[in-house]
Amino acid sequence: MARYLLGRLGGILVVFFIVSVVVFLLMHAIPGGPYNEDKVPLSAEAKANYMRKYGLDRPLVEQYLLYMGNALRGDFGVPFQSPTETVTGLIARTWPVSASLGLAALLVALPLGLLLGMVAASRQNTWIDYTASTISTLGLTVPNFVVAVWLVLLFAVQFKWLPTGGWGQWHHYIMPVAALALAPMALTARYTRTSILEVSRSDYIRTARSKGLSDRQIMLRHTLRNAMIPLLTILAPQIPNLITGTIFIESIFRVPGLGKFFVTSILGRDYPMIMALLLLVAVVWSLVYLITDILYVVVDPRVRLGKSKT
Amino acid sequence: MSSSTAAAMGVAQMQGLPKQRTLLGDAARRFARNKLALFGLFLVSALVLTALLADFIAPYPYDAANPTRALQFPSSEHWMGTDEVGRDVYSRIVYGTRISLAVGLGVMAIALVIGIPLGLLAGLAGGPIDYIIMRLVEVFTAVPALMLALLLISVFGGGLFNVILALGIVAWLDTCRLLRAQLLSLRERDFVLAARTLGASGTRIALHHLLPNAIAPLIVAVTIGIPVAIFAEAGLSFLGLGVNDPIPSWGKMVGNALSYMRVYWHLGVFPTLAIAITMLGFTFLGDGLRDAFDTSMNR
Amino acid sequence: MNRRLVFSHSRQSVYLALALLIALVVQACAPAPAAPTDSGAPQVAAPAGPVVNALGKELPADAAPLDQQVLVYPYSGWRTFTTIDFFQAVYERADALSDLLSDSLVRLDKNFKPNPGAATEWSLDESGLVWTFKLDPNLMWNDGTPVTADDYVATFRYGADPTHAWDFSWYYQGVIKNWTQAVNGAVPVEEIGVRAVDAHTLEFTTESPAPFLPAMLVYSNAMQKRALEEHGGLYNSDPATSVSAGPYKLVEWTKDQRLVYEINPDYKGTNIPYIQRLVVVNIGQPSQLLPAYEANEIDFVWGSGTLSPADLEIIEADPDLNAQYHPHYGDFRTYYFFFDDTKPPFDDLRVRQAFAHVLDRDAIVANILKRQGIPAYSFLAPGFPASNSAAFADTYPLDIEKARQLLADAGYPNGEGFPRLTLKLRAEGPAPTAVAQAYASALKDALGIDVEVTNMDFRSYMEELNAKPTGIQFSLISYGMDYLDPSNMLGVFVSGGRHTWANADYDALVREAGGFTGDPAERTKMFQDAERILVEDVGGVFVYHQTPGDLIKPYIKGPALEPDDNGVSAWHWPGFSSFSDLLSGVYITNEVSNYRQAPD
Repeated sequence: MARYLLGRLGGILVVFFIVSVVVFLLMHAIPGGPYNEDKVPLSAEAKANYMRKYGLDRPLVEQYLLYMGNALRGDFGVPFQSPTETVTGLIARTWPVSASLGLAALLVALPLGLLLGMVAASRQNTWIDYTASTISTLGLTVPNFVVAVWLVLLFAVQFKWLPTGGWGQWHHYIMPVAALALAPMALTARYTRTSILEVSRSDYIRTARSKGLSDRQIMLRHTLRNAMIPLLTILAPQIPNLITGTIFIESIFRVPGLGKFFVTSILGRDYPMIMALLLLVAVVWSLVYLITDILYVVVDPRVRLGKSKT
Repeated sequence: MSSSTAAAMGVAQMQGLPKQRTLLGDAARRFARNKLALFGLFLVSALVLTALLADFIAPYPYDAANPTRALQFPSSEHWMGTDEVGRDVYSRIVYGTRISLAVGLGVMAIALVIGIPLGLLAGLAGGPIDYIIMRLVEVFTAVPALMLALLLISVFGGGLFNVILALGIVAWLDTCRLLRAQLLSLRERDFVLAARTLGASGTRIALHHLLPNAIAPLIVAVTIGIPVAIFAEAGLSFLGLGVNDPIPSWGKMVGNALSYMRVYWHLGVFPTLAIAITMLGFTFLGDGLRDAFDTSMNR
Repeated sequence: MNRRLVFSHSRQSVYLALALLIALVVQACAPAPAAPTDSGAPQVAAPAGPVVNALGKELPADAAPLDQQVLVYPYSGWRTFTTIDFFQAVYERADALSDLLSDSLVRLDKNFKPNPGAATEWSLDESGLVWTFKLDPNLMWNDGTPVTADDYVATFRYGADPTHAWDFSWYYQGVIKNWTQAVNGAVPVEEIGVRAVDAHTLEFTTESPAPFLPAMLVYSNAMQKRALEEHGGLYNSDPATSVSAGPYKLVEWTKDQRLVYEINPDYKGTNIPYIQRLVVVNIGQPSQLLPAYEANEIDFVWGSGTLSPADLEIIEADPDLNAQYHPHYGDFRTYYFFFDDTKPPFDDLRVRQAFAHVLDRDAIVANILKRQGIPAYSFLAPGFPASNSAAFADTYPLDIEKARQLLADAGYPNGEGFPRLTLKLRAEGPAPTAVAQAYASALKDALGIDVEVTNMDFRSYMEELNAKPTGIQFSLISYGMDYLDPSNMLGVFVSGGRHTWANADYDALVREAGGFTGDPAERTKMFQDAERILVEDVGGVFVYHQTPGDLIKPYIKGPALEPDDNGVSAWHWPGFSSFSDLLSGVYITNEVSNYRQAPD
């Protein structure tokens, strides 16, 4: 186990390195620079001045080494789009907002999705199953920004129960969480149903049933546990997305989160911010994956970590 | 036809000759008994037909704008109304079938073509090969999908082809990871252990026992992946970076409708319905296929 | 200096006049805003004596109490704005409610006339090149130091500083002496033509005669020399280092959420506001502006490019909202298609003419833009100085037959052999995008030319546009004024700018007229001759002049919102800032309590 974890950590470092190089090259391949050019073209000299100001006139290799050198010392630079703070400060200010929203959505989506999936599976091919399946299909069918727009019109403009957006009080969570939770809930429900059906047909469940265990006991003790593997696989990738924020929901509900920076950094050619966001997500991903792999072992003892097969 | 069917066929062929007829026959019979699955097959077939016969079905060209007829509500002349420049929404949805299927299938095709071999390799070979493949998967997953797509589109420009490519490059990861996870779990199951004890070779175990059993979740993943790809394209449209006009993609239509929906509900509702029907079709079809193959294999 | 805005009786202005008239009539017919006597509860609480704000300004009788004298204003967009100072970064500011922390040398009234601001008077010497501005000696920073000419000199030097790389540095290029050279790093910033003669006398030297300089200097609000030196150009982005000589001071800035100003009790200038407190709320998605407005969370929606056609429909269908909709001329913005005419096929005038003849402006305006535009056949909008729009309505009218003939003459009968085109847009909103799509379809329909429309991200677009040779073959773009003089608008087509279209006669006329100090009528004639060249040679296919409408809550009133010389009552450009006396001419009436509580 320890050796496996060490290996994984080494792998993570390799991943970081490759991601940073690829992205560094990609982002510098985007046309345009961090300067604003609107009505009248900037003179070549003025552009050169600007590039010099941010050290963008140096060779790419030198820029990369400089950046990584600083990053290793914990200095991720100053975001072009918000020069009064540091990249670290900006992320520290916005990420917790997105993370709390994402976690809240996950906390809503998981139990609801599991419930829907279990109900659907236990009443396969009945109207209950069809209703649950329809609900979960709808959740995957309507884009969440469309749902978000309608939530605002309904609950803020029509009924005036909630503000159209904002941040800081508990009721600001309601609409964005609802919009965000829909898709992961639907996904969870679908996979739970599929996996339970699959597992319940397997030999050991039949054995359990023949031993006289009740359906309920079988569901909780065996089926659900075995159905967890595909669910983990499909749900794990949702987590980093959820907790790093989304521009679609955050921009509609005025949530001051990290989500919009994934887009504005690219639109604004904010190189330090692009790099920082990618490294941040890479860290989150790696952690989630490490945990997922360990969870595989926990839920399914037959999965062996890191040992090559005989 | 749909890639999931194709994948299933491929599986059937891998079963080896003597078994093939029985397996396929069993599956087909089982499939035919499943009403929901047949409904799914019907929907998907209808979509494919619509895409093929769009020129005959659509009453108007998809790109014929006429500002004097802009933003009309549904009528006998325009069954789903007209959009902000007076194009017939029904015709655009009909033609949009082509684009949306191209996006969905194109992205999933990329996902399967890259994902299946790599997933198989990782799940079966294990060891250093698994290690390298999983690092590769991580490199790609570590970059947020939206950001990677944005980066690629910013560098290489928008347009249908680039959008499919940008989304496909992200989509194969799930296929690969899912297949590997299934294989990891199945590898230790009783029937595989039994086969191994009986002296079956590694390849034989992989092809006869592991892949068929791993295919069910893969089919489900593909059926979900198609609308997800259509969605992702809608998201890019929301950011103003989807396919170019006048190419009618449902995702783009929904994205555009955002600022019109409150009054001109038809601009948002019909493309959303089109996506929903596609989703339902592939879901039912996928579930049906899974059930059909699954039971026959676990017997 | 600036002529009054007079509408010519052209076809286009009839549309505008009609639109404005309708708005006014609807406003008049709408349920009368509750008179102070008949609107119940709120009036009971009204104090007996006159209300006086922190600057000693007495509020009108129907004004709400001081705690309700708050303006809540949206900032829409995904960008994180980083500054409230024009000379720091124009395109990184909050759109409006910025530039409040010091006075500009001049400020505009609702008729766009430059009036004394921080400068009490100005004069020009015989050479026509040296301007002397006398500063108001009363002005003080709220750290207790006086506002001097040195502050203005430091501000302008900062704008020209190559290490600052100011995004608006082009604005004073070719006008202020040595500005261009300083921006390019050829001469030190100390050598630009802005000089302090004494503590309260400022001297500008121009490259060539610039009769429009005072109008241009609406963008001249000072930054404090000491703060600039101590904290750098972003000193106003933090209430702790912020210093104000303007009517307001910064009290809170919560990034990506809100910005709060309060009236500056130490303000010694003449642009004295009624409103006590200003709150800027961040609204990321423009589509959410109208819902937030309807939910009484914001007092105002800036209509230019933010309200979608569907929003307009909702407004039109709702009598209350309709009464709160105020159409106006915005920044006299004109949308136009343009070409890369250095290469085939657009180097052929006949092709450009054919393109001009297939544009159905009336249908586009009537069905897509509705109240947000009037048809444009030329560049300068009706009401803008030297506008001659009536004269061009028949230059290239809608004429499909003629267009086909012209295209055939150019060697592309029925569009055969014509290359596929990509019509590129610069991150446009819903209305211009729809206009581009309609035109693309018309080109296919009428001329058999295939056109794809792509909406690009802003910077990629500008990079392609300004590349040499340009990467943009065919595009829709807009231009709005920076100051009220034809030399500003027409300057964008002078060769060497953002367009490839070049005409030596045009350049000469615009340059000469720009510096012309003689008879104003002759100057106007020169600009009109230049515009004729531009239109006839199809430097662009002009589509529409934007006539944005703002939503203003009925509880916002004041002399600034009374009808202007043209009878238009609106939140006039450049909005609520030190650039305009709008700032001192609006207040909140006690009707506000029917809508909202006092915001925190």
